[in-house]
Amino acid sequence: MTASALPRQAETRRDRRRLQRLEEEARTIPAKRYGLRRGTVTGLTVLCLLFAIFILIPIAWIVINSTKTQSNIFETSGFSFARPFVFFHNFSLLFQNVDGYGTYTRWLANTALYALLGGVGATALAAFAGYGFARYSFRGSRAMFYLVISALLVPITAITLPLYLTYAKVHLINSIWGMVLPSMVSPVGVYLMKVFIEVSVPRELLDAARIDGAGEVKIFFRLALPLMVPGLMTVLLISVVGVWNNYFLPLIIFSQNQLYPLTVGIGLWAQRAQNSGNAELFPLVVVGGLVTIIPLIALFLILQRYWRSGLLLGSLAS
Amino acid sequence: MSSIAMQPSRQADQLKVPRRSQPQRQQHRHDRRGIWFIVPFLVAFLMFMVAPLGYAIYTSLYTTKIIGGTVFSGAANYSQTLTDGNFWSGVVRVIIFGAIQIPLMLAIAFFFATVFDLGVAKFGRTFRTIFFIPFAVPAVVGAVMWAFLLEPQFGPFTHAANAIGIHNVDFFSSSLMLPSIIVIAIWEWTGYNMVILYTALRSVPRDVVEAAILDHASFWKIILRVKLPMVRPAIVLLVFLNSIGALQLFTEPLILQYFQPQAISVNYTPTLYIYNTAIGAGEYNLAAAAAVVLGAVIVVISVGSLVFRRRKGQLA
Repeated sequence: MTASALPRQAETRRDRRRLQRLEEEARTIPAKRYGLRRGTVTGLTVLCLLFAIFILIPIAWIVINSTKTQSNIFETSGFSFARPFVFFHNFSLLFQNVDGYGTYTRWLANTALYALLGGVGATALAAFAGYGFARYSFRGSRAMFYLVISALLVPITAITLPLYLTYAKVHLINSIWGMVLPSMVSPVGVYLMKVFIEVSVPRELLDAARIDGAGEVKIFFRLALPLMVPGLMTVLLISVVGVWNNYFLPLIIFSQNQLYPLTVGIGLWAQRAQNSGNAELFPLVVVGGLVTIIPLIALFLILQRYWRSGLLLGSLAS
Repeated sequence: MSSIAMQPSRQADQLKVPRRSQPQRQQHRHDRRGIWFIVPFLVAFLMFMVAPLGYAIYTSLYTTKIIGGTVFSGAANYSQTLTDGNFWSGVVRVIIFGAIQIPLMLAIAFFFATVFDLGVAKFGRTFRTIFFIPFAVPAVVGAVMWAFLLEPQFGPFTHAANAIGIHNVDFFSSSLMLPSIIVIAIWEWTGYNMVILYTALRSVPRDVVEAAILDHASFWKIILRVKLPMVRPAIVLLVFLNSIGALQLFTEPLILQYFQPQAISVNYTPTLYIYNTAIGAGEYNLAAAAAVVLGAVIVVISVGSLVFRRRKGQLA
């Protein structure tokens, strides 16, 4: 991209956003036209506020209690700060192997690695497959697509347990690939990409490129892929969150704590904090939980404008 | 098919005079190449989804004994699973869980989605973002936070219940455990469902609502008679997806079990049953049979609900 093209690009993007906002306003009918009294609007806002408080209570609790000592977590009110303020001490515990069962930062790095490899892999496979299903019709493609979709019905349990049994035979237990490779299979991702491509990558464009003699691979990377970006971001986000939150698979396939992701590590600490009274593990669970949710909440707020929830519905009409 | 697609390529033009069927064949040639885009996913799909499922079914037909090794035992594991009251009590429990949690959550989600869609509450955008936050919280962390909040001795919610005059309330007692898990699940998933319903509501054409206003339809009538029917497909999809999730309830009860071992048995949900049978007791064959049965139950319930809705004419 040349330097002169850059500001132009930004301008169109800003325009697009402004247009989006205008469109949204045009679709919203002013509240007073419904003949609502002012009291109703206030009442509805209060209901929203109450539910927002319900949502924020655990978040507030975890923020406040990450600053407390173990005894203060239990003995002081859950929603007020208490002396001594030990957040930085608690935070420093995340870099140590406190009870000999593992280090938080190690688990954080593992989770990030699994989420990155699994998420990018899932998105890439889903992009290829979605494109194949959406823009080519060959013998058996419909049947294959329905096979993929029906996998949504299969419980994770029915897949995870036999995965563990087969891993035992092919030495994938306690291997990061045992975690990453299954995470790359995302039937939902394929479905979403197919739906997205059907509405945003015009067939005519691809056919025009074919007439110009472009190869199928080149058409995909040069023409289709740039048009697929919003769909790719949504699938990437869903896949990354899926791996980040996955608990059952890593719980079963990892027996070495240096391979644990955060979910398994925090679950282990929560269990040990109850059963072994000596080590002060509760502050670790609390501050660890807090640091686990911050990157994902930040990711969502940053990527909000890429998030296409409409995609989840895209083909409901069809 | 577009007119451009029907034109033969230049190359074909030079070689011979195109017959009528030529463009058709051209179309098929590039269509067949499409399979190579699907192959990478398909290989991973077969290896990490179809094969394990097949292996689960295979394993479930055998029994491993310390003396005698692994022998074919036919339907023995299935008859053991199907007659095990512990397994079915877990199945019944997750069905009750879903039957309460899903309608409650969808009602809340639909209510707020309409409020935001109609723009009848202030700060709608901010509230929407706040409601969505729990989606970014791993179930493990969510369950840990709620376990602390509901803890019977020191939990803030227990204190709050005492303060308003409800004494000796134990959120982890066997009678309140399921309602507690329902609250946690509602906290976790309402925002996500709300965002999907909100998006569906946005696509309802403005003219439809305008017409209803001109007909002097009341505000609530517009919501229930105009908006609700138009997002019914989205609601059906959400019922379907949430049912599949509810029947596999696992993480929340397992974490709560760490906090209160007495209240949650090893068979509390079917997935816990499978986990404890396999990892706890080492009975892999039996666990595999239970996993297959659970899969069948999920297929029957989720597909059954779709068929039922279709027959009632609610699904377009």
